[in-house]
Amino acid sequence: MSRPRLIAHAFALALVVSGCATVPPQSDPEARAEYFERNDPLEPLNRAVFAFNEAFDHLLFRPAAETYRTLVPKPVRTGVGNVIDNLLVPRTAANQLLQGRPDDAAKSIARFLINSTLGVLGIFDVASEMGLEPQFEDFGQTLAVWAGTTNGGPFLMLPILGPSTLRDAFALPIDMAMDPWNWVGQGDQVQALRLGRYAVQAIDGREQLIEPIDALRAQSLDFYSALRSVYLQRRERDIRNEGRPAARRFVDDR
Amino acid sequence: MVLSRRTLIAALAIAAGRPARANDPATAAAFIETRGRALKEVLDSDSPLAEKRDRVAAILREAVDVRGVAQFVLGRHWRTASEAERAEYLSLFEATLIRNLSARFGELRGLRFAVTRAQPRGEEGVLVTTMVEQPGQAPVQLDWLVSFASGRPLIVDLVAEGTSLRITQRSEYGAVIQRGGGRLESLCWMRCGGS
Repeated sequence: MSRPRLIAHAFALALVVSGCATVPPQSDPEARAEYFERNDPLEPLNRAVFAFNEAFDHLLFRPAAETYRTLVPKPVRTGVGNVIDNLLVPRTAANQLLQGRPDDAAKSIARFLINSTLGVLGIFDVASEMGLEPQFEDFGQTLAVWAGTTNGGPFLMLPILGPSTLRDAFALPIDMAMDPWNWVGQGDQVQALRLGRYAVQAIDGREQLIEPIDALRAQSLDFYSALRSVYLQRRERDIRNEGRPAARRFVDDR
Repeated sequence: MVLSRRTLIAALAIAAGRPARANDPATAAAFIETRGRALKEVLDSDSPLAEKRDRVAAILREAVDVRGVAQFVLGRHWRTASEAERAEYLSLFEATLIRNLSARFGELRGLRFAVTRAQPRGEEGVLVTTMVEQPGQAPVQLDWLVSFASGRPLIVDLVAEGTSLRITQRSEYGAVIQRGGGRLESLCWMRCGGS
């Protein structure tokens, strides 16, 4: 059986086994309101995927992030993180253009040029010191701006990739296609570099979230719904550009 | 001259010598400032950790509208709950909230904080923005929603980097109750570990 077909079958099976959450009856308007606010009709399936993700995180992902933290000293991690962030800037600029914010796009391009040259391939975030603060945009945010709503449709728990919504999951492959680094070069070595970049990006991201996720896990009554709520709130803030991502620091006495 | 009711109330307030204006950003900012200073004093002291936690908990109990937060978090289930259930839930919720918050702050040392902004949030109260900095770490933005509904300023929400504590908690409690078949006891079952 081909792989896509296998995945489709597994998906269908999971749907049959776990079923969808049922909409509360008309006679209970408050329960209905809560159901639509939660916006998670696939919850049983999502929770099954989440259980898998949790196992993956405990066994592989979090340990890898911890090892990364232990083996690689903070200044090096900051430099690596800066390079990774810098590679994301062209995508940010493209999305800022699509969102009708040419001024911000110009700032991002300036940021990219400065950090790629003066900042030695992005290792040093010189632009932040010059007042060009980091910004992150992705196609999911652009879709939200176009749609004029922060509501991203039903919540989805993607295998490995984690919390998402219909909108953000749809935007994911478009973001990949829009990233200029996926246009240049070919061959096995380029492919390996590309995969390496995504791996480092994932480990770096997880390393920064070790404490916040541990705290959320320890303090939540129900980790799944806490994570869902936090994800949706964060996305809403990202879409409205209310948060200001801080520049990474080279020294840290954590 | 006919005095409108509002003018009359304002005049009375001035006569009484204290501003009765609700949702006053300056009052809310000062409130957060003094509570923050008290908290910082405890955290920077040399008392043992257990004692620090108790003192932090005492400050929080006075400054946080625990009952208001508890009602918000339970949402529609509050109204259908019996008096006994409410009382049990309230004590459970207070213990959890204070424990979580004291754990979050209890071990911090040498933190610096500054109130950077206070903006009215309509009926809800005033949102006071603080930047909190721990030695060697990037500053974190914490927003405190201060409500005047009870007549004096009280904290009703803490928004950490865009994530509202009470909204997250409401979503969790809702999920637990729903998975427990809509019964409030399911909350205790989660906390008491099956007993």
